[in-house]
Amino acid sequence: MSGKAAQPKPAQKGESKVSFFPAWCKRCGNCVAFCPRGALKRDQWGYPVLADSDRCTSCGLCEMLCPDFALSVGEGGLKPAGAGAPRGSRVAPITSPERLAPEPNGGEEDGNG
Amino acid sequence: MPPVHRSVVYDWLRHDKKFPHVWCPGCGLGILLGSLLRSLVESGLDKNQVVLVSGIGCSGRLPVYVDVNSVHTTHGRALTFATGIKLAKPELTVITVMGDGDATAIGGNHLIHAARRNLDITAIIVNNQTYGMTGGQYSPTTPLGAKATTAPYGHIEPSFDISALSATAGASFVARSTVYHITQLDQLLGQAIAKPGFGVVEVLSPCHTNFGRQNRLGSQVDMMKEFKRKGMRVERWRELPEGKRAENIPLGVLVDRDLPVFGQSYQRICDTAGKRGEAGK
Ligand SMILES: Cc1ncc(C[n+]2csc(CCOP(=O)(O)OP(=O)(O)O)c2C)c(N)n1
Ligand code: SF4
Ligand code: SF4
Ligand code: SF4
Ligand SMILES: [Mg+2]
Repeated sequence: MSGKAAQPKPAQKGESKVSFFPAWCKRCGNCVAFCPRGALKRDQWGYPVLADSDRCTSCGLCEMLCPDFALSVGEGGLKPAGAGAPRGSRVAPITSPERLAPEPNGGEEDGNG
Repeated sequence: MPPVHRSVVYDWLRHDKKFPHVWCPGCGLGILLGSLLRSLVESGLDKNQVVLVSGIGCSGRLPVYVDVNSVHTTHGRALTFATGIKLAKPELTVITVMGDGDATAIGGNHLIHAARRNLDITAIIVNNQTYGMTGGQYSPTTPLGAKATTAPYGHIEPSFDISALSATAGASFVARSTVYHITQLDQLLGQAIAKPGFGVVEVLSPCHTNFGRQNRLGSQVDMMKEFKRKGMRVERWRELPEGKRAENIPLGVLVDRDLPVFGQSYQRICDTAGKRGEAGK
């Protein structure tokens, strides 16, 4: 995607209510284990998928219990972060989940504690 | 729907840090990070008004990921830096994030005196019952009998109750929750930040990698299910007969009282001393 970011739209009927950002997902299984409606399942690689969209009530619990900010409930997209993004930031001016994740080994990681 | 939309939470992450973050898959610290960000947004604070201060440990890494003023100090000393910051700039909201080892072992003295003085600081203490970062040595909150790298035959010391310790030492607000009880945790963090004086939030969090593995507690999902099974609102817990209390963990606001706040008393002294000085000229 380039240029102007599209504003997030509420999920349409038939559209997924949960969006996943596999680049940040560590396949810990919290979301699948704690969805009160059993709407999520793991795919063959262990990543979560919304297996039964009709069961999902958009309660948001999976989003809140995900330690890695790797899924989001409700409005599908993320808000464009362009305006607020600091100079030199590795965040692309617009935010699709894959773009928000830095390149492999990108980002600063200081060693201790 | 979650109370604060995820897009706003993303906005508060420090995007020049590497993501995904360093914590183990499933570690409760990531859940707490999300909860803290939502609470800060809900509190209506501006990023520039907030200072997050931490020591060293897995918990100590949390402020590193937040796009506010953050100070990553030395092991056990988060509260000393926070004290200086708060007294020099009382208008700032100062929050420390410490581990159980950070806050009650090497930093235990700072904790009790910050509580005794009732400094206007919020202290989030992540209790994973171990030294997570260094490989699972016992900490002052490791339960009697539990295994640790430094207690291979089971721990022979009784443990501290962080909340009780903070309350006895004089904090004006003390609360406990877990990373499983996520909506409660959001609320309690918000309340602690709003409360004048020393506010402690003890957050039970699974360290399945070290504490869990050594004690055969299963995955973080299993450990969080234990929080669910044992966690009980403190109001209900108080009704239990003595003998039943130990099996359950009281959660919620444990102490909420109005006590003199150190910063205000200190300001009054400064004003008085200033006036006397003026009069003497
Ligand atoms: C002065 C000093 N002593 C010891 C250490 C080694 N050390 C690093 S983290 C840590 C303990 C971490 O435990 P805790 O505070 O509970 O945080 P957790 O990793 O469990 O979140 C220790 C002893 C250090 N970094 N500095
Ligand atoms: S929003 Fe709620 S119901 Fe839907 S998948 Fe997530 S946890 Fe399950
Ligand atoms: S909780 Fe988050 S990191 Fe864990 S499996 Fe689900 S999406 Fe991935
Ligand atoms: S060692 Fe324990 S506390 Fe540290 S990141 Fe891993 S699970 Fe979390
Ligand atoms: Mg610890």
